[in-house]
Amino acid sequence: MENRIEQKMQDLRKRGEKAFITYMTAGLPDMAGCKALIKTQEEAGVDVLELGIPFSDPVADGPVIQNASYKSIQLGTNLKKVFALMKEVRAEGVKLPIVFMMYYNTALYFGLDAFVKECIASGVDGLIIPDLPMEEQEDIKDALKKEGAPILIELVSPVSADRIPKILENARGFVYCVSGMGVTGQSGNFHKEIYSYLSTVKNVSEIPVMMGFGIEQAKDVAPMKEVIDGAIVGSHFIRILEANDYKPQAAKEYCRTFKRELNE
Amino acid sequence: MKKERYFGEFGGQFVSESLMNTLEELDRVYEDAIRDKEFLKQCAYYLKQYVGRETPLYYAENLSREYGTKIYLKREDLNHTGAHKINNVIGQILLAKRMGKKKVIAETGAGQHGVATATGAALFNMECTVYMGEEDMRRQELNVFRMKMLGAKVLCVKSGSRTLKDATNEAIRTWAKTAEDTFYVIGSAVGPYPYPKMVKEFQSVISRESKKQILEAEGRLPDVVMACVGGGSNSIGMFADFIEEPSVRLIGVEAAGLGIETGKHASAMALGKPGTLHGMRSYLLQDDDGNIQIAHSISAGLDYPGVGPEHAYLKDSGRAEYVSITDVEAMDALQELCRLEGIIPAIESAHAIAYAKKQAKKMKEDEIMIVCLSGRGDKDVHTVSDYISGKVEVR
Repeated sequence: MENRIEQKMQDLRKRGEKAFITYMTAGLPDMAGCKALIKTQEEAGVDVLELGIPFSDPVADGPVIQNASYKSIQLGTNLKKVFALMKEVRAEGVKLPIVFMMYYNTALYFGLDAFVKECIASGVDGLIIPDLPMEEQEDIKDALKKEGAPILIELVSPVSADRIPKILENARGFVYCVSGMGVTGQSGNFHKEIYSYLSTVKNVSEIPVMMGFGIEQAKDVAPMKEVIDGAIVGSHFIRILEANDYKPQAAKEYCRTFKRELNE
Repeated sequence: MKKERYFGEFGGQFVSESLMNTLEELDRVYEDAIRDKEFLKQCAYYLKQYVGRETPLYYAENLSREYGTKIYLKREDLNHTGAHKINNVIGQILLAKRMGKKKVIAETGAGQHGVATATGAALFNMECTVYMGEEDMRRQELNVFRMKMLGAKVLCVKSGSRTLKDATNEAIRTWAKTAEDTFYVIGSAVGPYPYPKMVKEFQSVISRESKKQILEAEGRLPDVVMACVGGGSNSIGMFADFIEEPSVRLIGVEAAGLGIETGKHASAMALGKPGTLHGMRSYLLQDDDGNIQIAHSISAGLDYPGVGPEHAYLKDSGRAEYVSITDVEAMDALQELCRLEGIIPAIESAHAIAYAKKQAKKMKEDEIMIVCLSGRGDKDVHTVSDYISGKVEVR
């Protein structure tokens, strides 16, 4: 079976469409509410969903996602429960590609082989692990060799420079371009060399280039349209969910508008 | 490749991509610097003229008589700023200067590393921001004030456990944002490679001096070398020059807090499992979901749920032993050292003294033990006074 992310990227390319990717912390407002939000986003035309596995020490995240993680852990969310949620949404027909955004220790503690087995069984399509640079990926890549395993999404930063070709060598799905230095959720604070950095990546990448960190509206990425294949929104999306009591309707409107404006 | 960034299976670089080039540059500059005679001369100059090294290796006469073996104290408490932390800060700030950075940031638990960094920043005219947990700011009010007097900004960290772990998270986040012009001065033997290696090198002056001093005083190597372990900087410095001396037993003393069995402790080596935090793979206190647990110790400087990766390696390879001491045992030892030797040790260092008392009972009269007295206790007098008047929960 082909990987859902890669399939989606091909479809988008054929249609000449840019991807809209969202991030939300798993387990909020609760498991049932989280499930409803996943379905809503699929309906609203979100192309890939990043589901954040809450961790006690999210060093790559700014205050919004830190607080969301903290809340979710307090509610009892853990990896096992998120796997159960994944199984339910797949059984209920959700085809949306889903990526786990998680810190390495969560998978390590679970046991890498057991973790990958559960990912396969529950329909997880990809992994984003912000504290696992290419030098440390050997162990997880070994575990991910199994048939149907999720793909590891690679991240590059504005200061990756000569590391970029090496990082992209065997990258799959899409490449996640971090828009600035630092952590998630610093609105509009893109790196001063953002355009030339993204075009460098675009030039060497054989897979779609997605930009994330600090994006709120489709117009934020309009100047970069020529050099990216899509945008990722995390902290701002969570802010919208929180401001609207996690009601699916608000998520639907925001996602529809973003996806439409991104492709105008 | 993997090997050189690791101590056995511990260490590594578990950080975001945006820090990888920074770490590589740092490693290059560091390796270059420690081979540069001028740099080493500069380090030695400031350690002697500014920090006040070398520190005495004091034969603790009364303590030795009381416990029946020869106990020497390596007096790191007599350094400028009152603890061993300044040794490492001098080295790292000189590196920052070499890299052309004008700003430094640091995390601090007990405040000693924060004070040392603020001191170094004042000396070398750099802008300094120190991250400190809200809980630690309350426990170590005096050090917060000292940092401010020295011109540093102290940022109060209110996330998570509000102690050293979270202060370190916040410092890492800031560093990831500002690495282009900011140097992160890590105070313990933790963090991503090359930090554990650098901190060890800059702290190894402790064991180099001790070895020379004990050979002068006794004409032979010690039987036991001991130090307290939080993240493990004074201990790795105290062990460094003795690691290759198989006749010397190395003992690290962690904080058992209210007791290992209560779950309220800071002994990553006693019950921790390997995991990744703060850029390294090492022993960590974790819950059943792999989240990092909150450490507990009466001493802010030992209140850390992990331990430096080289210590994890020394434990697994059997070269060093790690034991633990409760809050009560440490506070007893602190008061005993005051009375017996006229020295007020830091609560951190008192953990080592407490285990030294136990260890001494197993030793012969003419055997020799060196204990690292990593810091002085002036910063702790409030805690000691609260403890004596029963305001601190210790059971």
